[in-house]
Amino acid sequence: KMRAGAEEAESSGYQRVVLKNASPHQYLKSDLPPRVLEDESARVSAIDLKTFITSCLRSLFGEVGAALNVDVLKYDEETLTALLRVPSRGLVKLWSSLTLQGFYQNRVCAFRVLQVSPFLLALTGNSRDLQLD
Amino acid sequence: MVALARQLDTSFVDGSSCEKIEATMVRVKSRYLLCEINVSDRRELLKLDDRAVAGTVKAAVARTHGDYGAALCSIRFCVKYLNAHTGIVFLRFPKGCYKLLWSALPFITSIECRGQIIPCFLNCLHVGGTIRTCQKFLIRYNTQQLHRMLPKCKNEEEKRQIQKAILSFSLTGGGNKALEDELESEEEDGE
Repeated sequence: KMRAGAEEAESSGYQRVVLKNASPHQYLKSDLPPRVLEDESARVSAIDLKTFITSCLRSLFGEVGAALNVDVLKYDEETLTALLRVPSRGLVKLWSSLTLQGFYQNRVCAFRVLQVSPFLLALTGNSRDLQLD
Repeated sequence: MVALARQLDTSFVDGSSCEKIEATMVRVKSRYLLCEINVSDRRELLKLDDRAVAGTVKAAVARTHGDYGAALCSIRFCVKYLNAHTGIVFLRFPKGCYKLLWSALPFITSIECRGQIIPCFLNCLHVGGTIRTCQKFLIRYNTQQLHRMLPKCKNEEEKRQIQKAILSFSLTGGGNKALEDELESEEEDGE
């Protein structure tokens, strides 16, 4: 099966490479929709976001979870969109603790995860937002 | 539980003529952690009770592993045996997650019992699949401890008592109790 695939690849000039767990980090693009936060004028800075994520992890997974290396790579204060980086082993913990967090400082909030990928380049394009004109 | 499984097996074999139907029960497995509670003052040990220890372990697991750890701890966790004289405690955990819960034990710095805070730390000596294996290990361990205490004896009478306790070991409760009383009296005399 593999040999037939390789022959086909050589003939068509297209090669598919499969890597299993090759990437040490996973990248998560998430969103705190402004309409869900009841108080529209609330300003959430990048530092607030980082402490918020750490407190989410701490409530669900304790001190060990809070010690996870989550980095906020990019943060847009207007749209509250954040690009997070986490080691691959911690993706499930981070995602589940963001999902189960319902409150931010006594205000109802809901994290929305838009894209997840082991490669940062894959997060630049999104077929959902693609405009075909 | 194992006996019931064997009964089920044989009854099915007798009932059907040629095929043996696989009707074994899957056994629920736990891990028993044999821990030793170390306190600086031996008299403080006597104030402990199993509910205080259970509460402390649950709090430590909730602190270290959050809601996930607290949920894991509530399934099949309990303190099976606590000896206030020697500070030995048997903790039972489910087999699937005992390593995670074990990792929270070093974070225990004190046990609160009836309003008093006793500073201590937990030392894990043995992990066994059943209480029986843990008891066998405990007997061997106590023998080694008594052998170590033998050269430190002050007078002949204590020596004879220790030798008698060592010789009288058995798996039944009698031998175990004798050597534990011996252990306690030795320590108090040594202080």
